Amino acid sequence: MTEALDLAERALEAAPPGDGALATVTAERSLLLRYARSRPTQATAIDDLTVDIAVLRDGHVGGASTNETDPESLAACGRAAAAAAEAAARSGGTGDYPGFPPPLKITARDGYDAATALIDPVPGGAALGTAFDVAGRLGLEAHGIWTVGDVETALVSSSGVSASESVTDAFMKVICIAPSGRSGYAAQTAGAVSELDPQELAERAAGKAAVSREPLRLEPGEYPVVLEPHAVSELLSMLGNYAFNGLAYAEDRSAISGKLGQRVAAAGINLADSPHFPRQIQRSFDAEGVPKEPLPLIQDGVAHRVAHDTRSGAKVGAVSTGHAIAPGGSPYGAVPTNLVLTGGGARDVAELAGPVERGIYVTRLWYVNPVRPKEMLLTGVTRDGTFLIENGEVTLPIEDMRFTDSALGVLDRTEALTSTPVLTSDGEFYGRRYAHGVVCPALRASAMRFTG
Amino acid sequence: MRDVLPDLMDAAAGRSDYADVRHVRSSAETVSTRNGRVELVRQWQEEGFGVRVRIGGAWGFAAARGNEKAAAEDALARAIAVAEAQPRIDDGVVALAPEEAASGTYSTPVEIDPFSVSLEDKLALLTEADAAMRGDPRIALTGAHFDAYRDDKVFCSTEGAYCEQRIVECGGGLAATATSDSETQVRSYPGAHREQVSQAGYEHFAGLRLAEEAPRVAEEAVALLTAPPCPAEVTTIVLNGEQVALQVHESVGHAVELDRVLGREASYAGTSFVSASDLGSLQYGSPAMNVTADATVAEGLGTFGWDDEGVAAHAVPIVREGVLRGFLSSRETAAEIGLERSGGCMRGEGFSRQPIIRMTNVNLEPGDAGSLEDLIADTDHGIYMATNRSWSIDSRRLQFQFATEAAWEIRDGRLGRLLRNPSYAGVTPQFWASLDAVCDRSAWRLWGVLNCGKGEPGQSMHVSHGAAPARFRNVQVGVA
Repeated sequence: MTEALDLAERALEAAPPGDGALATVTAERSLLLRYARSRPTQATAIDDLTVDIAVLRDGHVGGASTNETDPESLAACGRAAAAAAEAAARSGGTGDYPGFPPPLKITARDGYDAATALIDPVPGGAALGTAFDVAGRLGLEAHGIWTVGDVETALVSSSGVSASESVTDAFMKVICIAPSGRSGYAAQTAGAVSELDPQELAERAAGKAAVSREPLRLEPGEYPVVLEPHAVSELLSMLGNYAFNGLAYAEDRSAISGKLGQRVAAAGINLADSPHFPRQIQRSFDAEGVPKEPLPLIQDGVAHRVAHDTRSGAKVGAVSTGHAIAPGGSPYGAVPTNLVLTGGGARDVAELAGPVERGIYVTRLWYVNPVRPKEMLLTGVTRDGTFLIENGEVTLPIEDMRFTDSALGVLDRTEALTSTPVLTSDGEFYGRRYAHGVVCPALRASAMRFTG
Repeated sequence: MRDVLPDLMDAAAGRSDYADVRHVRSSAETVSTRNGRVELVRQWQEEGFGVRVRIGGAWGFAAARGNEKAAAEDALARAIAVAEAQPRIDDGVVALAPEEAASGTYSTPVEIDPFSVSLEDKLALLTEADAAMRGDPRIALTGAHFDAYRDDKVFCSTEGAYCEQRIVECGGGLAATATSDSETQVRSYPGAHREQVSQAGYEHFAGLRLAEEAPRVAEEAVALLTAPPCPAEVTTIVLNGEQVALQVHESVGHAVELDRVLGREASYAGTSFVSASDLGSLQYGSPAMNVTADATVAEGLGTFGWDDEGVAAHAVPIVREGVLRGFLSSRETAAEIGLERSGGCMRGEGFSRQPIIRMTNVNLEPGDAGSLEDLIADTDHGIYMATNRSWSIDSRRLQFQFATEAAWEIRDGRLGRLLRNPSYAGVTPQFWASLDAVCDRSAWRLWGVLNCGKGEPGQSMHVSHGAAPARFRNVQVGVA
């Protein structure tokens, strides 16, 4: 038994008995090195854990958390969770939470790399040095992060669940910026630090920034596009959060509401949540201890399933699909965190661009927010490597552009995908670190709407 | 912490050029209803040390949980290790801008401790408000929310600073979502994105009078389902105070963060169209535009005694009569561009994130256009937009596109038809140049933003913006 699992069991024992309880321990050790203008700027090393206790009373879940592990603190946390559930029960009548899930077979996944778990700053320093060297040789400045993490999650419940897993992750991002302001981006996400290739990343980012021509300004309008995997993943993440979210679906707020079984994308689109896909960050259970299994979301362009936790599933007569992000159900609903978009037949992005007479090549999208979630209408801007496609060739740099378009619409207009999907993420770690990403290829769509 | 932190800084002094440590104990509580039922009742608590060291110009930061001396010493050792592991840059290390060593205490003035009020009392207010939004079958989703936060912070540095602070924040709000076959419309009160939070006690939440506002919120959500769409045209817009606050946040506050201006946030948040040499000369907006970053405003979420590197709270002019006059800065960045003093804007989320440059209370100063009614009466033709719904801006803070929950036509000085799906877009300096009227102090208030994301690892910061309704000419609307 790991220390985290032992602590989770002690936390569960600290919860006053009632209709059920669930205790989770999330222990994080991580290091993140930031750099800008080819010099180190910030370095953050975290060693922390969170004990969460959820208590069920009359269909209501109350919760409390602490990062202290002594018996008194655990008891206080348990009492706070019970008091929260009891206050809810007294104030709101019988709640709609059906109860913590029973134990189901959880298959252990190998998402742990011992070398990464050392959280050694030395390879990070070397990676930064590589980025500085590559950028400097081309007269560019390098910006970005290098980070590694080791997070253990242990979960026990009064319904009999007892599970733990440790997941490591590594991420490096390089943005090279030329004196003209032209920038280029490359990033890599992996389960092991040894898989990161700082040299290749820096060279790829530098290649996009080291363009001597002044960027063109294109007028707003509809253009054919080639989206690199990082741009595709941004659209897919939004789809996961808003459209394939079981709670949004149950409350008729989802773009998929009423459309399961209908065509929502081009026939070549196959999207699933696949936590055991070899290139994904491996996950074996969700925040309620339900095993994570592959979940088809779009098959051959047809909307197939949505992601549920116990609560959202109960609202529509379904069971949890293993997508809880909080015990008892998060207010944000159930979210697929291991999306995989199946690749197509194109060898590379050059082949994707081949049929495009005049279009836009996008490296990544930025500040993407929903305008009207039920239509999956999004807006955001291109960033760090936007180019004109002319007569099948990626040619001149162009100024960044704002798009306002439906994510499902882009997938419906998708004509071709590259053959090898890659793991992408933004390396964003708000709150307790939870590494996740999207495995996807680059794609070509016949049109995307640019509004500024 | 008197028996831990000064000794730790004595140990750090011999191994670094500069060091500081914060011990932070954070507490939070959230209570919410959804569709008439209790949805969430939850409490959080955490504490620990965040140690920051500077060695040869490289920063190292390490965090460790707890309140024991050994944890603080462990964090110091790791902070030094990561600082020393980074590539050495020898082309000039800037000294930190001088600051008198912080000393003393600061506490939020609180009439009623929000953590002392029973959960049942909070739930009673929320369920009453939630129920008051329900009834019309087109209302698909209702929610009411309460949140409270408390940070107890102790700061100590190798320069002899030692200060203690207690920051208490509290607030709430409600929202109703109406649906039809083709539309989904939301109305919120008192502001978008769940709630309005102030640095204050429970009295602030109780004063929101959620149940009284709830029926209007639901009625407007339903009315939006069949309202005509916002037209696509170039016209005059009047923004309500909350949308002005968001406009200030996105197109002024972030743009004048000196770390962005100096290119240090290019990795994530982005850079800025503003350069350091623009100080005193950049025409940011019209003469009606006056912006101040003020960490001393009562009830502001960016109000404190000292920032998280020990700089005493003060006000910094950012824009005066349309001209750029200041930046949001730290001791390091202020020194880098030759400012005499930091703007006092270094803030870290909890104990486990290192301080970075953040907004405090970045306020658009009130003008002389009277009340909102006066401003509408002074407008012949245009659109009044209220309550943010969607926001996006590019990584240099230039080209933006915002949508609001609701809008009304303005015809001959009066509000006319309700309009659905309103949006507008612009380019920052041109947009602010089109500002020709700001309401006066009677219409000015602070608006809180709880989800300001920045930094790697990510930090969500609470900031406020004082704003009053304001008018902008020749704006492109109906863009989405």
